[in-house]
Amino acid sequence: MASVTLQHVEKDYGSLRILHGVDLEIADGEFVVLVGPSGCGKSTLLRMIAGLEEVSGGEIRIGERLVNDVAPKDRDIAMVFQSYALYPHMDVSSNMGFSLLLKKAEKTTIDTRVGAAAKRLGLDSFLGRLPRQLSGGQRQRVAMGRAIVRDPKVFLFDEPLSNLDAKLRVHMRAEIKALHHQLKTTSVYVTHDQIEAMTMADRIVVMHDGFVQQVGHPLELYDRPSNIFVAGFIGSPGMNFLPATVSKGGKADAVLADGQKLRLPDGLPLQDGDAITVGLRPEHIQPAENGALKAEVEVVEPLGLSTQFYVRIAGQQVCVFVMGRSTIRPGDAVRLSAEPAALHLFDPMSGNRIG
Amino acid sequence: MTYAVSEIRSAGRRRKRRLSHAAIEPWLYLSPAIVLLVVVLLVPLIVGISYSFRKFSAFKSEYVGLGQYQAMLSDQVLGQALVNTLWWTVASLFFQFFLGLGLALLLDKPFIGRKLVQAVVFLPWAVPSFLSGLTWAWLFNPIIGPLPHWLYALGLKAEPTNILSDPATAMWGPIVANIWFGIPFFAITLLAALKSIPSELHEAAAIDGASPWQRFTKVTLPFLAPTIVITVMLRTIWIATFADLIFVMTEGGPAGSTSTVPVYIYVSAFKSLDKGYASAVAVLLLVLLIAYAVALIAIRRTLVRHV
Ligand SMILES: Nc1ncnc2c1ncn2[C@@H]1O[C@H](COP(=O)(O)OP(=O)(O)OP(=O)(O)O)[C@@H](O)[C@H]1O
Ligand SMILES: [Mg+2]
Repeated sequence: MASVTLQHVEKDYGSLRILHGVDLEIADGEFVVLVGPSGCGKSTLLRMIAGLEEVSGGEIRIGERLVNDVAPKDRDIAMVFQSYALYPHMDVSSNMGFSLLLKKAEKTTIDTRVGAAAKRLGLDSFLGRLPRQLSGGQRQRVAMGRAIVRDPKVFLFDEPLSNLDAKLRVHMRAEIKALHHQLKTTSVYVTHDQIEAMTMADRIVVMHDGFVQQVGHPLELYDRPSNIFVAGFIGSPGMNFLPATVSKGGKADAVLADGQKLRLPDGLPLQDGDAITVGLRPEHIQPAENGALKAEVEVVEPLGLSTQFYVRIAGQQVCVFVMGRSTIRPGDAVRLSAEPAALHLFDPMSGNRIG
Repeated sequence: MTYAVSEIRSAGRRRKRRLSHAAIEPWLYLSPAIVLLVVVLLVPLIVGISYSFRKFSAFKSEYVGLGQYQAMLSDQVLGQALVNTLWWTVASLFFQFFLGLGLALLLDKPFIGRKLVQAVVFLPWAVPSFLSGLTWAWLFNPIIGPLPHWLYALGLKAEPTNILSDPATAMWGPIVANIWFGIPFFAITLLAALKSIPSELHEAAAIDGASPWQRFTKVTLPFLAPTIVITVMLRTIWIATFADLIFVMTEGGPAGSTSTVPVYIYVSAFKSLDKGYASAVAVLLLVLLIAYAVALIAIRRTLVRHV
């Protein structure tokens, strides 16, 4: 096991810069999830840790060792690919034991280690099968098994669950998490699915356009997103954003486009007349008899456990999330209230969090 | 219960009768194609085989049973032609395949000017075999071609003479021309097969610790195997029956040293005018090649049943 350290890692394809100086410290035994929209450079970063892509700038260390110019096989890592990349002409046990075979391990050693990994993953009865004779979920397990058998310092996963159906994905998510709990191997996991990130990660790294936006514990990102991008990316249903202007008559208020006012928390570095973007999580804006905000309900989505409304406030569609069931119907006029402490304020120019 | 069973049975019988209609119907739709295939493919084949039981002379032909086949047994020239054919096929195929594979592997890697090299590599295929035969014959001719002088300068030959006029070396002339002519075939087909290998497989192997050579033998080759078997089979048959180059360059000479079976068939049919004997030799070649193809397909079954 080992830590992974990235220092100002850059990646260029020709004149095109894909990664702009990524700094990241992954502790020994940590499960870190890289998340971001398609094309943000997550896979590229992971492949650079694996040694499959050249490093254009900066330093990558595994443990204490600088690995910029170390071949993939000498980095002591294992990778699980989105396509699984199983060798189609080898059966499951050969697929899993291939790396040991190449290391010229004893046949008995290979057999015991493959056997143990197969048992752990419930693949015992498939050892003689070819990949094409397996279901998608079983192939995914074989790919995991191939990684486990090597007993590497670091596991790298590139969207390993995205080819599975929704139910199996949830199941495998828990299984990978349990596996990490047993093995405690440092893991870097790439996904574009923020729910996967939230449920699996010790720490999440949110990326966008080749920049790291924020690094932190899942709930830390949820509670204190450092900019509009992270605020909108983390959480489902996503955060609502309302453009507003600050008005400072005694207490500070945010004045929305239609003149409605939202009480702001105290002690923020705001000036009268500042333009701000107010972020509101759907569960933090609730129907209330004497609520300050007037809104019209457009859509009601009853989910049984909870209900989601889409209402219009100051010309913007806003999602409201309430637990349980509700008698509110589309077309109803409602009053809503929000705790000042639950508001997230952002600078609309830079997108950065205020306060 | 009985009621239900008999019901099902009678339904089954009815379906069977309808099935026989259904069984014939597709053949009716196919019949034009089948008739065409029979006329175009089978009729000439049967006529050719039937010739092999006859003896032809200037104005008549007579039935001689297996007489032509008996004559083959004691035909020294045919024996020589069979040996020549084997030599010509194996040498051409060996070099075509390995040079083609090497070229395909090179062209699979990105480098500057790859498009251009690709176009040049595939050029020999666009040249008519007749023309390339002539060109190579000229290249080997010491009066107008440079090759004998180069061989002499390299010390491979004592004198800058034409290798095509020496029975000991004459076969190498058409073989070299044939190699040049056949490399693109292997390069194209193997390159296409190489391109179909997912790059992640190579990456997984690299992470698993495979050296480039191990990646080639454990990942690339198993993927190429089905293509290799098929192309080698097709190519063997083409080369074994390919007479243009030899005929243009040496006409089977000197002293029959480059006479392969197809050349011998041609000479028997159109120079000795014994169509019957030529047909018998052709049937022999056909049988040998079919046996070869069957053997290779059997090997393929056991070897590459996975992919
Ligand atoms: N070989 C290449 N040449 C040029 N640009 C490339 C190359 N490979 C990737 N890119 C670019 O690098 C960027 C990041 O790609 P990457 O595969 O890391 O994205 P990603 O975050 O993994 O996205 P996804 O979620 O779709 O897998 C993309 O904009 C892509 O177009
Ligand atoms: Mg990706």
